[in-house]
Amino acid sequence: MIRAVIVMNTQGKPRLAKFYDYQPVEKQQELIRSVFAALSNRAENVSNFMEAESIFGPDSRLVYKHYATLYFVFVFDSSENELAMLDLIQVFVETLDKCFRNVCELDIVFNYSKMQSILDEIIFGGQVLETSSVEVMKAIEEISKLEAASNAISLIPYASGWSRR
Amino acid sequence: MALSGMRGLSVFISDIRNCQNKEQERLRVDKELGNVRTRFKNEKGLTPYEKKKYVWKMLYIYMLGYDVDFGHMETVSLISAPKYPEKQARSYSTCMLNENHDFLRLAINTVRNDIIGRNETFQCLALTMVGNIGGREFAESLAPDVQKLLISSSCRPLVRKKAALCLLRLYRKNADVVNVDGWADRMTQLLDERDLGVLTSSMSLLVALVSNNHEAYWSCLPKCVKILERLARNQDVPQEYTYYGIPSPWLQVKTMRALQYFPVIEDPNTRRSLFEVLQRVLVGTDVVKNVNKNNASHAVLFEALSLVMHLDAEKEMMSQCVALLGKFIAVREPNIRYLGLENMTRMLMVTDVQEIIKKHQAQIITSLKDPDISIRRRALDLLYGMCDVSNAKDIVEELLQYLSTSDFAMREELSLKAAILAEKFAPDLSWYVDVILQLIDKAGDFVSDDIWFRVVQFVTNNEDLQPYAALKAREYLDKPAIHETMVKVSAYLLGEYSHLLARRPGCSPKEIFIIIHEKLPTVSTPTIPILLSTYAKILMHTQPPDPELQNQILAIFQKYESCIDAEIQQRAVEYFTLSRKGPALADILAEMPKFPERQSALIKKAEDIETDTAEQSAIKLRAQQQISNALVVTDYRPPNGTPPPVSSLNLVKVSSTSSNSDYNSVDQGADHTNGTVSKSDSQTASADLLGDLLGPLAIEGPPGAATSEQSVLSGGDVPSAADAAAIVPVQDQPNSVQPIGNIAERFHALCLKDSGVLYEDPYIQIGIKADWRAHQGRLVLFLGNKNTSPLVSVQALILPPLNLKMELSLVPDTIPPRAQVQCPLEIINLRPSRDVAVLDFSYKFGTNVVNNKLRLPAVINKFLQPIQLSAEEFFPQWRSLSGPPLKLQEVVRGVRPLPLMELANLFNSCRVMVCPGLDPNPNNLVASTTFYSESTRAMLCLVRIETDPADRTQLRMTVASGDPTLTFELKEFIKEQLVYIPEASHGPTQVPAPAVPQAPVIPPDDPAAILAGLL
Repeated sequence: MIRAVIVMNTQGKPRLAKFYDYQPVEKQQELIRSVFAALSNRAENVSNFMEAESIFGPDSRLVYKHYATLYFVFVFDSSENELAMLDLIQVFVETLDKCFRNVCELDIVFNYSKMQSILDEIIFGGQVLETSSVEVMKAIEEISKLEAASNAISLIPYASGWSRR
Repeated sequence: MALSGMRGLSVFISDIRNCQNKEQERLRVDKELGNVRTRFKNEKGLTPYEKKKYVWKMLYIYMLGYDVDFGHMETVSLISAPKYPEKQARSYSTCMLNENHDFLRLAINTVRNDIIGRNETFQCLALTMVGNIGGREFAESLAPDVQKLLISSSCRPLVRKKAALCLLRLYRKNADVVNVDGWADRMTQLLDERDLGVLTSSMSLLVALVSNNHEAYWSCLPKCVKILERLARNQDVPQEYTYYGIPSPWLQVKTMRALQYFPVIEDPNTRRSLFEVLQRVLVGTDVVKNVNKNNASHAVLFEALSLVMHLDAEKEMMSQCVALLGKFIAVREPNIRYLGLENMTRMLMVTDVQEIIKKHQAQIITSLKDPDISIRRRALDLLYGMCDVSNAKDIVEELLQYLSTSDFAMREELSLKAAILAEKFAPDLSWYVDVILQLIDKAGDFVSDDIWFRVVQFVTNNEDLQPYAALKAREYLDKPAIHETMVKVSAYLLGEYSHLLARRPGCSPKEIFIIIHEKLPTVSTPTIPILLSTYAKILMHTQPPDPELQNQILAIFQKYESCIDAEIQQRAVEYFTLSRKGPALADILAEMPKFPERQSALIKKAEDIETDTAEQSAIKLRAQQQISNALVVTDYRPPNGTPPPVSSLNLVKVSSTSSNSDYNSVDQGADHTNGTVSKSDSQTASADLLGDLLGPLAIEGPPGAATSEQSVLSGGDVPSAADAAAIVPVQDQPNSVQPIGNIAERFHALCLKDSGVLYEDPYIQIGIKADWRAHQGRLVLFLGNKNTSPLVSVQALILPPLNLKMELSLVPDTIPPRAQVQCPLEIINLRPSRDVAVLDFSYKFGTNVVNNKLRLPAVINKFLQPIQLSAEEFFPQWRSLSGPPLKLQEVVRGVRPLPLMELANLFNSCRVMVCPGLDPNPNNLVASTTFYSESTRAMLCLVRIETDPADRTQLRMTVASGDPTLTFELKEFIKEQLVYIPEASHGPTQVPAPAVPQAPVIPPDDPAAILAGLL
């Protein structure tokens, strides 16, 4: 099972953190910090694997990919295949790319909710839900339509309240 | 692409980004949280859209690392959310909650309505919410509805794949609640699915189901192979599921994973088809330029390799796999190098291929210098795993060489592994000593005490090695700067054995003393006592005495007589007094006796560290196949052809925890009464490590004490081990009254029953009747005077171990003739431990003072209550306790051979109930019980014993419970029961029954007596 998905920038600021086993918020931050400390020590052109048991406890593995200013990190246990997880990161990033047309860090910062929704269409409760970025996009577009529809309806009577804020 | 424009959220994020520092950020966050709270409070004005927006803000704040109090108001306003944005918000808000949050309980009904409703969007949101939590109450009330969604033909794939994973999540977290009976047929049908998305999710579900119980799912096996064939031939795979030209690598990988849970594939046709697919994967995968394609194709390839290994394919295919791996560990692509090494380590399990793997040793050693630490670690693991007698020398020397240049992060592991390999596979012992000394020299900071303790044990136990070790130690002392651990070990070795070198240049006692004493200013307090012992020993070995040296050393002792550290002070005072005894000194400071053989703490430690079970068992396997010279020598060669004197063995055992509860508790007891500080006993916690740690502590103790104990013991008539402790005042009249029957045997019998005789001699009989309820017990002592005259000065003192609370009612001072008094004793079990309470009992009969320290049968199994479990209850528990420290496994040797029936009876009499029929193998036993203590409450313990019908003297035992200490203690307890042989009097926890009552003759000038007096 996949235990956590962390997206952070190369300064260690988290952009997305999802833990599939409940972790208290302090613990989450501590884990993110430890992962960053270990990642920032790694050179370019090395493998995408990193020892994770010292951070996440026994039977945990970690793969990551480094894109421009972002690290994408997946933590999972031995029931998953490492390279397949690496492929999944690629699917996640490719989907983001399709969604934002050449995704950059800023897209991700301001579309935090969007990124969450995309991730939720790829990983569900720690298991791989969908591996085809085409299918993920379909699901996301559906959600967007629904959101747009519901926003349009609800915004009309409250337009004044909205601008006041 | 247009986004769900939550402008408020964007503004907030932008505000946060504009904060100059953490302080500003916190202020902004606090302001926002306050705002959210007020808005939710006045719920009337809140639109569904706003609710969603605020939940997203909270999520964002949560991700930034602030505690977001998801309060009552928010909860209430989201429970019955009828609109889409609210439902979305409700689903997302669950990320911030743990599964016991009230909100979830309250929301169950509305969530259920969404799941059974017709709106697919709502179904998806509800499933996501349930899947993120996976809580027990969700499982109880929602699992059947989710199951229906999964198999419903009217649902879209989008909903069904979520239903599959939702079910999987509920099942993983609450296997006992989700009923999967009869699911085999449905799973078989699900595997006919054409939609690859649904199929992938269903396959994940299947993996979870077969990993728990493959028996029920045999019918799925051919379907899995069919799916693999379909993918391998790229039949009917839509474009969107082709990833870099490879038909859904995830599905291929998952399917192969599912197949690995079936022990064998019997049907020849299925097997043939599968091997065709695997062969195609093995042959048809090349390293190409595109990294993503490479990753995907090799994901499949490595999974195929695992499957081939699992199926234990024909030799030809295996060597093909090893050849592939050999190729991989040399390629440029680092990911593949990494996995190549990792899979080679796994492959070590298959014994046949070891020789082929050895051919790649040079390449693996090169990987030890890889720029990537992840790869270096895997290389280290592999080298460690593939090491055996034939290549140990090369590998260990390579590791030592690497040690000086390796990362700090790896040094500790590296030195530990080098030490273990050196110990296990040493071609000769002098090499072993060389390796350890080099290790201390190069990485002293990373060498734990266990490592040097161990080398001392080996040297002590092997006379041939002693001059060599002393010489080596002497050489290291010449180095300008040496690590403190090196000072310790060389001082110890030279103290014991430098006299063997006396004729060599630079090795006269004086020179040795000077070179060691040079180091004294540089060492820390714990090392100084070792140095003092060394000086005392040097002094003793200086023959003829050298007055100048003597004065020097005495001056040092005098100097430390006022040291603030109690240990140093005590030694200084003792050695000063002792060293004026002249020739008698030689008896007191004689060489340390040999150590009893026991499992290396190092190896135990390493086993704890290792989590890769495959690798671990490969090592174990190897260690069993080839016992290294090191072990052979120490294990089986009696020193000087005669068995070691019992007393010396006992002496060392006093402070070892190895199944020696008797001594430990006595020590502890003595500690309480006399207030004497004895280093070893206060630490007799259950940690494994102490087993070896404590041995060397005995070394560190004043050597004089050692000898005195021996003479007391060998001269005295000691019915219980207690007197072996030096702390017992020597002027006590030892008992001249003989006990009737074997005390140890009586104790062991009482461990298994609740009433009987604990002790008997010609004057008194002590009986016991006990009644145990959960963690409490009431034990009545029956003190019966067998004579016609009264027993006077009767005293009974309970020395409870730390884990028991005991209260003994008043014991009368006099027992009238032919009378029996009852003394109830209340016992409360605080926590699991094998430590045993001791009854310190004495009385006077005529002029005879009789004193006995008797172990009380308030042992761990008394706090067990047998419980019979059914398969449905047992297996989920068994699986949920995975791996150390909650689940421990050990191969026990030297078991007294028993037929299976009797073994089962033994367990039942220990209150561990055998559950027949749970284990399909008739040679295995599965048993369960409940343990009660104050700290653990009622705790279920599960035991599995695997016996070998061909060799009844060994078995494999697995013990599991929810508490690591309990697991360990119970395991050790059962082991003691299995190994204990009541017929023989030399069981591990007994002193031989004294055959000849012999009054101890201790001449007034006996050094032992003097020393004991000193103490």
